Amino acid sequence: MKRKNKNKIVSYSKARKQYLKTIKKDKILVLFWQITIFVLFLGIWQLLADFGVIDPFFFSSPSRIATTIVDLAKDGNLWLHIWTSLYETIIGFVIATLLGVLIAILLWWSEKLRRIMEPYLIILNSLPKIALGPMIIFWVGSGTGATIVMCVLICIVITTISMLNAFISCDSDKILLMKSMHANKFQILFKLILPSALPEFTSVLKINVGMSWVGTIMGEYLSSKAGLGYLINYGSQILKLDIVMASITLLCVLAAGMYFLVSPLEKKFKR
Amino acid sequence: MKNLLEMNGVKYFYQTKESEINALENISFSIKERDFSSIVGPSGCGKTTILSLIAGLLTPSEGAITLNGSPITKNDSRIGYMFQRDHLFEWRTIWQNIILGLEVQKKHKQPEKLAFAEELLKKYDLYNFKNKKPRQLSGGMRQRVALIRTLVLEPQLLLLDEPFSALDFQTRLKVCDDVYDIIKSEQKTALLVTHDISEALSMSDKIIILTKRPAVVKKVVDISFQGIAPLAKREDKEFGKYFEMIWRNLV
Repeated sequence: MKRKNKNKIVSYSKARKQYLKTIKKDKILVLFWQITIFVLFLGIWQLLADFGVIDPFFFSSPSRIATTIVDLAKDGNLWLHIWTSLYETIIGFVIATLLGVLIAILLWWSEKLRRIMEPYLIILNSLPKIALGPMIIFWVGSGTGATIVMCVLICIVITTISMLNAFISCDSDKILLMKSMHANKFQILFKLILPSALPEFTSVLKINVGMSWVGTIMGEYLSSKAGLGYLINYGSQILKLDIVMASITLLCVLAAGMYFLVSPLEKKFKR
Repeated sequence: MKNLLEMNGVKYFYQTKESEINALENISFSIKERDFSSIVGPSGCGKTTILSLIAGLLTPSEGAITLNGSPITKNDSRIGYMFQRDHLFEWRTIWQNIILGLEVQKKHKQPEKLAFAEELLKKYDLYNFKNKKPRQLSGGMRQRVALIRTLVLEPQLLLLDEPFSALDFQTRLKVCDDVYDIIKSEQKTALLVTHDISEALSMSDKIIILTKRPAVVKKVVDISFQGIAPLAKREDKEFGKYFEMIWRNLV
């Protein structure tokens, strides 16, 4: 096989061709099984519902979910619910990530502050944030504001702890090297600490995608008039489980979409 | 040549929760300009502490350290420091790594400094790797980049803290030769810390032998097979005699 690589033409040996072929085959096989499992799952679910083995009222079915999504879309309300949840999640995600990194920087900067704050961080990390729900409604009122606050609370502590760990685990000899070059603390932060923590930062982003959706749905369960969490709550209250399942399906798609937007960063910063 | 570095009666204590540790007890020695000197001593005797004191990363508890007649200041920029590992920043290219110190000292826009960095890269066969990332270079090349990163700042004294210890034996011999060659051709003064007597012998004009902690200077040995590359020195008939003498002073 010959392949054009920019201006070079590379010719491969037989063993290399075989090796590349195996890798490609492996990739296709994994993709094949990923799709097959998905199709089989939907197919079996649909068949079980059609033949009455499971009650579609309780378990819904792929076709009923699809119809519900189409109906909601025709109503025009679907976009409002999707947009509300997406907006709350993205705002919560961005605020929590920025604020979490900023707090981690402050705690890295001052060792004393870090030691003072350590027990508080541990307590905040172990506290189930949902317990603060009623308080949040009192503080910021119900609706979008409360959901964003919940979202931020859920993501911020873990962001702070993970980033702080990355900052303080930076090789002390590298810091010494910077100092021997006459670097001040700002230069050490911007030229060494922050860039060396980029791989950890991308992991935090990936974790926060999931966590911010948890925050949004929790917030919307507590108090909201729109959003996918609201829709799930509403569907279960009027016993229309198709709405619940349709909302969960949409949530899966949105969360996966956000994850795939963030994950290329990991490849970029992987060392 | 005149003395570049002088250490006079330097003591250093450090504090732990349990007690005060006396790391260095009265260290005095001097290093001449353009000399290559080495410090050898039992492990844990405070060799690296001496380098940190000279670099201004630590302050002596007693005594004085002067470079060119003036006292060492905190993080003294007249000193270049090379560590056990190369500590190249993986997210930077070789060129960006080399100008790191210039950036830190805000000299990275001075054309003559950049020209000097380029010249060093060309001279030591690294110019073609300028835009590569450190992981694309071999251990020996990385160590050369680390040395150039230090030389670009034009230090008066180079401190080498076991810079070859992370390399395998063969690479080590080669890199020893390279580093020696670069330091001598740039006419730099260097102070190497090592636990390897052969390495110290093959590179140095002078060897300072320390006792175990609290360290004092036990003996200063002038080495007289100057001017030959380190690898060739290892084959010199005097090498074994020196080795034995230093070994006897160490144990």
